[in-house]
Amino acid sequence: MAEEESQFEEFEQIDFLRDRHVRFFQRTLQVLPERYASLETTRLTIIFFALSGLDVLDALDVIDRNTMIEWIYSLQVLPTEDQVNLSRCGFRGSSHIGIPYSTKGPGVLHPYDSGHVAMTYTGLCSLLILGDDLSRVNKQACLAGLRALQLEDGSFYAVPEGSENDIRFIYCAASICYMLDDWSGMDIQKAIEYIRGSLSYDNGFGQGAGRESHGGWTYCAIASLCLMGRLEEALSQRELDRIRRWCIMRQQSGFQGRPNKPVDTCYSFWVGATLELLDVFQYTNFDKNRSFILSTQDRLVGGFAKWPDSHPDPLHAYLGLCGLSLIGEPSLRKVHPALNITQRAFQHVQQLQQTWRDSTGSCSRHLWG
Amino acid sequence: KLAMSGVEEISDESVEVKEGEEFDVEAEDHLRDDFLLDPTRYIFYRDRKEWADLEPVPQDDGPNPVVKIAYSEKFSDVYDYFRALLKNDERSERAFALTSEAIELNAANYTVWHYRRVLLQALSKDLREEMRYITAIIEEQPKNYQVWHHRRMVVEWLNDPSEELEFIADILSQDAKNYHAWQHRQWVIQEYKLWDDELDFVENLLEEDVRNNSAWNQRHFVISHTSGFSDAMEREIQYCLYQIKKAPNNESAWNYLKGILQPLGLSAQPGLLERVLELKQTHCSPYLLAFLFDCYEDALENSKENVAEEEQQKTLKKALEICQLLAQEDTIRKEYWLFLGRSLKNKHGKLNNYTFELCVIHPELEII
Repeated sequence: MAEEESQFEEFEQIDFLRDRHVRFFQRTLQVLPERYASLETTRLTIIFFALSGLDVLDALDVIDRNTMIEWIYSLQVLPTEDQVNLSRCGFRGSSHIGIPYSTKGPGVLHPYDSGHVAMTYTGLCSLLILGDDLSRVNKQACLAGLRALQLEDGSFYAVPEGSENDIRFIYCAASICYMLDDWSGMDIQKAIEYIRGSLSYDNGFGQGAGRESHGGWTYCAIASLCLMGRLEEALSQRELDRIRRWCIMRQQSGFQGRPNKPVDTCYSFWVGATLELLDVFQYTNFDKNRSFILSTQDRLVGGFAKWPDSHPDPLHAYLGLCGLSLIGEPSLRKVHPALNITQRAFQHVQQLQQTWRDSTGSCSRHLWG
Repeated sequence: KLAMSGVEEISDESVEVKEGEEFDVEAEDHLRDDFLLDPTRYIFYRDRKEWADLEPVPQDDGPNPVVKIAYSEKFSDVYDYFRALLKNDERSERAFALTSEAIELNAANYTVWHYRRVLLQALSKDLREEMRYITAIIEEQPKNYQVWHHRRMVVEWLNDPSEELEFIADILSQDAKNYHAWQHRQWVIQEYKLWDDELDFVENLLEEDVRNNSAWNQRHFVISHTSGFSDAMEREIQYCLYQIKKAPNNESAWNYLKGILQPLGLSAQPGLLERVLELKQTHCSPYLLAFLFDCYEDALENSKENVAEEEQQKTLKKALEICQLLAQEDTIRKEYWLFLGRSLKNKHGKLNNYTFELCVIHPELEII
């Protein structure tokens, strides 16, 4: 510990402004101006960035947990009385459809109301970060909604009405199954096939077969396989070594997302966490990475931006913190690299899952909901 | 739309704030301008007689909203009526017209786009006109997932990809690495078998910017789906080496070269190692050195039984020298290159450890 402290004393001039970041996330959780309109359908992901960010900063005490928990539960798409909408269940990103506020069932039938896989994922994460026990989550409905989204090729849609389909939503699905401790939500084998099919000739992963390799999709691929517990089954040692090489070549100062593209704060997490999952993050250059991330820190309003002298946003603010946490920034909580929540929140997940297992004894997981 | 908006495209479309603006709550002054100065002034939907039959549906975030967006009166009014239409699943021209306004206010709202598609079909709308519409929107917002998905749906309904390659080329002329554009391009080409001119297209892009990694990827995509790499291998190797000579520090070209040789094994290609060693004299780069390391490693991994141990150890020595060089030249990855060297030595080293420790720590010493 003393060693770490002296290592960071050298960097006094690029100091980490913890309190500014706490306030940045507090403001994010309150009101955003109209120019943020494009975030409406993804507001739940923004809550996740802010809550997980505050967790990484060990500052969750600044928010009212119960208020947040209630609001998140109001976004759950619950089954109607006759369960006709089961394949559309999960969590919404926001109230934009106009369903009247309610934190309990039964669900309201609406021709266009359905969950979104990324919102179900971040909704569950957010509840767990807040210490909720998921007792009001209709797990079977979430899993039914998830099954309805997987295609023949193993990838997932985001919504049952249809959308683009790719590796991002496999990651969301894997995270959901992992948190609910129930893999009946997806066909793992097909998902693995899609992931393998997305491995590019240059040993990074694209969004799907044939597509350009990219740090974000590489994270989705590797983190999904880790959550499934299938990393070494799906990829040979040689393939893993080649993927390690692709990832480690992304470091220029901070990390870039693709070869010959500029570095961007968020890749300090996407690529950094992937390297951590592959056990070689220790061989990256922490100093240069830290310097870059802090160069994108907004000293006035807090948060981080993708580049220096750019405006901060909740996503880069959160991932910038996660990037710093990976390199062991003092005062930041450690982050679970595959699930992208703090180790503290992860321990809560594990304890919760233990109580589920204890209460059902040897019964099949499928039977309770 | 995805939580992981960190990846550049999504972050651009959904999370970035306009440059030059602070993080504060805005006033609704733009609406006042409409009202007082514009002769064809804006009338709220709630004040339009043709909409009087509909009860607007407000957004309901309950008693303690979180991440609430402060919409102007105009914005709320449009979307309150959108929600009303949605609830009744109304299929009408007025509904269709309103989706255009809703899209203009927030083109990332995937429900609006889905509803618009329902209406396009229910009302048998002119899909050619829709193509013109979506073309204009993508030109304005080329990093939005919903607009590209919408275009794909319309192209599928029309079963007409004839405008696509030119349109995508235009988008790429503004941003040659737009991931959505490339993805759409790959879909169109594969779906409608439009391979014929794509290699030329890729070569032109590489002429403009030999470091365009998306173009190199597309090159691989085209060849792997057309001629394949067996007959084309020599030509492709030549192409790579030519581009590397022009721009030696180009990771994309080296990744491509390695990528096409990898399936057969880097050491399987006769004469390649020698060509690269030659290039090392005049066009060296960390990528070249890494490529050499990989060649040596491949040779060690795939050594036939009749390869003498002495030969093996020579190859190992060369590989370790490359690691040392890389640790000096590509300093940001110094620890990684040293790690690779140690791993390789542990795997293939047969001489006593002492000798190799010396080799690694003191590169100027010669192996006896």
